[in-house]
Amino acid sequence: MDLKPLNAFYVMIYRQVRRFLRARSRVVVTVVQPILWIFLFGMGMGNVFNFQNPMVDYFIKQQFNGLDYITFLLTGVVAMSIFVGSFISGVSVIFDKQFGFLKETLVSPAPRELILLGRAVGDSLVLMINAMIVLGLGFLISNELRPEGIPLAMLYAFILSIGFSSLGIAIASKMSSMEGFQMLMNLIVMPLQFVSGIFFPVERMPEWMQLIAKVNPLTYAVDGIRYWLTGRSSFNPIIDITLLLILSSISIVIAIWSFRKATIEE
Amino acid sequence: MGDYIISVEGLVKRFKDVVAVDNISFKVRRGEIYGLLGPNGAGKTTTINILITLLKPTSGKAFIDGIDVVEEPDKVRKKIGVVFQDPTLDNFLTAYENLYIHGRIYGLSGRELDERIKEALEFVELRQYANKVVRYFSGGMRRRLEIARALLHEPEILFLDEPTIGLDPQSRNKVWEYVGSVRREKGVTIFMTTHYMDEAEFLCDRIAVMDHGKIIAEGSPEELKSMVGSDIIIMKFNDSQRAVCLEDSLNGVIRSCRPISGNRIELVVTDAVKVLPKIFEVFERRGAVIDEVSYRRPTLNEVFLYLTGRELRDSLEESPRPTRRW
Repeated sequence: MDLKPLNAFYVMIYRQVRRFLRARSRVVVTVVQPILWIFLFGMGMGNVFNFQNPMVDYFIKQQFNGLDYITFLLTGVVAMSIFVGSFISGVSVIFDKQFGFLKETLVSPAPRELILLGRAVGDSLVLMINAMIVLGLGFLISNELRPEGIPLAMLYAFILSIGFSSLGIAIASKMSSMEGFQMLMNLIVMPLQFVSGIFFPVERMPEWMQLIAKVNPLTYAVDGIRYWLTGRSSFNPIIDITLLLILSSISIVIAIWSFRKATIEE
Repeated sequence: MGDYIISVEGLVKRFKDVVAVDNISFKVRRGEIYGLLGPNGAGKTTTINILITLLKPTSGKAFIDGIDVVEEPDKVRKKIGVVFQDPTLDNFLTAYENLYIHGRIYGLSGRELDERIKEALEFVELRQYANKVVRYFSGGMRRRLEIARALLHEPEILFLDEPTIGLDPQSRNKVWEYVGSVRREKGVTIFMTTHYMDEAEFLCDRIAVMDHGKIIAEGSPEELKSMVGSDIIIMKFNDSQRAVCLEDSLNGVIRSCRPISGNRIELVVTDAVKVLPKIFEVFERRGAVIDEVSYRRPTLNEVFLYLTGRELRDSLEESPRPTRRW
């Protein structure tokens, strides 16, 4: 039998997309949650920063890369939805472990790295669609967004997604149960979100926090996406994408390494 | 490797403080159904996991069609189909999609894949459920679908780990039927584990009895049963005081005897028809009143008892399931 290895890659994309279309409850996590952030948190907070005084409002906008708070938050939340979604999808390898599908792929002759990459790319495509839905709503409430920046913003989002789903897979390969899942979410997802410039700009963070933000891959995705959607950012978008690529590549390598080693002993 | 498609030499697998597989060796002939029979925790699944390249042995060698499972796992993976003990289907996908993904992973595609999927679904009589989501399938249907999936890429060996565990009698019979026809129609070698004696007896050409990580006997069901003796006699008395073995008086007539529950004793003899009159005589002379007598050919349970001093059923309850690593 002539094995066409790329088959495994494509079919894992197919599987992830198919599964997503079937498991509609996942839409709630990946679409509804960001919308709640934008409307409930963003509009509430946005009002706090709105003083109906051009001088004060101008000064406040300067704190947020020169953007309305709602626009600032919204661009961050687009990145956040990709980040959370991709991390969860990576960690959901645990489900495949528990429900056995992983074993089915592990006894197959297909190269494990292709199965892993297919998974990550499939989930990323699904998340791109989710992010576009969130962004669509963003255009209704903010007039500072640039539609022409969407394709490049999505490129950043895609790299972010591949990076974090790989990281999730690498972590999941070492975990044997769902018990640690909640802890993982609180210990990794929450802190990374706060120290990334989603809710407040990096340059206004305390010194020590800025240091963490600068090694957080999410920071560069948030910043890059914000740049392409609004033209404003904390860093140069070229630096953003370079660092994002490097950090994502590292996590792919780690993921492939730990997935390849995965036997059922762990 | 000649006629032997699986060959295992001195296989050992140690998990931290437990020796799951303790220096076992066996060979499986091409085209036969070979079964590992033993209680849970005997090391059957561990053995299968080593053969299908999911676990690395601590020491020893295992070859599939002459290929070392540790050295060249990828080559081995192309030759095998596996039905795991726990279901491994994707519950959110349809039966067809599950087989489609499997086929693509194994390098099949296009019209050929489509035809094979339909043929495989036909084989396990699930064709009409092709487009139903697996979540709604019964346990028996899932198991059948897994068998279909494991055969889709036309493996040379099919591994079945406890293929009928948790199934109702009707579904069990169905699975047995398919396993039999897989061997007959497709000429596939089947390697299976089970803790059901009737299953091993019905399906397997040869059986290795496994206990505490060791193979304690190997042979065809008939060969194994002849180890015990020919017949089992069960006698019931009206009084528990009388349900004793009287081994001294029966010396030379019976092979072994033990009291069992409900005023009964169980005797192992060479030929029941010939020795029953003699046995009756001995008991009547002692004044015992015999209420009921039955005799039968030994089952593999008696074989297990003979070999280990425990009943296979008992040890199922005694030994806890090994800790799940998934």
